[in-house]
Amino acid sequence: MKVTLHTNHGDITMKLFADEAPKTVENFLRYAREGFYDNTLFHRVIKGFMIQGGGFNLEMVQKETHEPINNEADNGLKNKKGTVAMARTQDPHSASSQFFINCADNDFLDFKNKSVGGWGYCVFAEVTDGMTVVNDIEQMRTEGAGWHQDVPVDDVIIERVSIDD
Amino acid sequence: MTSWFISDLHLSPARPDITRLFLEFLQEQAVHADALYILGDLFDAWIGDDDTSDFAAALQGALRQVTQQGVPVYFIAGNRDFLVGPRFARMTGVRLLNEPAVIDLYGTPTLLLHGDSLCTADRSYQRFRRIIRQPWLVKILLALPLSMRMRIANKLRASSATQQPLSAEQLAIMDVTDTAVIDLFVRYDVGQMIHGHTHRPAIHEHQLPDGNTAERIVLGDWYEQGSLLRVTRTERQLISQPL
Repeated sequence: MKVTLHTNHGDITMKLFADEAPKTVENFLRYAREGFYDNTLFHRVIKGFMIQGGGFNLEMVQKETHEPINNEADNGLKNKKGTVAMARTQDPHSASSQFFINCADNDFLDFKNKSVGGWGYCVFAEVTDGMTVVNDIEQMRTEGAGWHQDVPVDDVIIERVSIDD
Repeated sequence: MTSWFISDLHLSPARPDITRLFLEFLQEQAVHADALYILGDLFDAWIGDDDTSDFAAALQGALRQVTQQGVPVYFIAGNRDFLVGPRFARMTGVRLLNEPAVIDLYGTPTLLLHGDSLCTADRSYQRFRRIIRQPWLVKILLALPLSMRMRIANKLRASSATQQPLSAEQLAIMDVTDTAVIDLFVRYDVGQMIHGHTHRPAIHEHQLPDGNTAERIVLGDWYEQGSLLRVTRTERQLISQPL
């Protein structure tokens, strides 16, 4: 199954790993189908690391989400460049809508053990088309905004999401 | 006989399982100890000693039961509960220590602190810490109505609950720096240090400028297990207890 993020900087298509991360994929599709991601920002961009989005509206206000999901990072998938994983707080089982696209091999984000420091971040998809768009976003100039650092100066907007079953 | 060291329990009404384990620990272990040292972030947020919630009252009562049995309980404030004050101490019998505190731990001079002051690479946090811990600001904070303090605490908590991942650089600056650690060992002329804050339990050995080695014990957090340091005359043990 494929999903395309239509951003104001171009399209990013990714294939979902429904077998390896079933609950995470189901959770992502739920938000996508509800239109939750429409007009949300890639609000956290760190060169050489990742670009993160799917939680803030265009006013940089965090959107109300559904219940957090259990971490499926112990599925063996690695945070390689071009993979997509769920963002979360320090609580390993706190992912809701926000996700990030790895812009490097971030092996320190992989599952190591079931401890707070070792749970890692659950990979649930991989970019198959539009990695140049990801690279463009990664290179954008960022600034601090309120509590947030690394916010792109020019908005990077997910305008809509299409699902190709 | 035994001394216990704990930190980073982050007790809150939202996590009754952690509170339950802590109360069990107080009733079953702490009451038989030589001493209990709490090295900060006992509470996920403590907004002032005038907090009259059931949660606050239950914990104060449980601590009081330990001190009433003659077991000294010491408390060093963390970054989450630096508003714990004299009234809390009176109600619980807990003795508040300024950090860093030097104690004689079965013959070994030992330095105790929460640990956030050692993370000197995190400049923006250190800047925030210097300001928020100013006595005049603490006074102003405590003069605010409880409800307003609650709102501020929630805001601060929400900001630290920002969705991660952190980059490798960000993770690195959140740990203690070697220079800050060595500096403290030298300044206080001790060979042992115990702290929490980083949630990275371990026993580290440090080489001091005079050629001696010193040991730094880092306590673990209580997020997925109870983390304790047990020290007797002959042994030291980092223990993890299932919730």
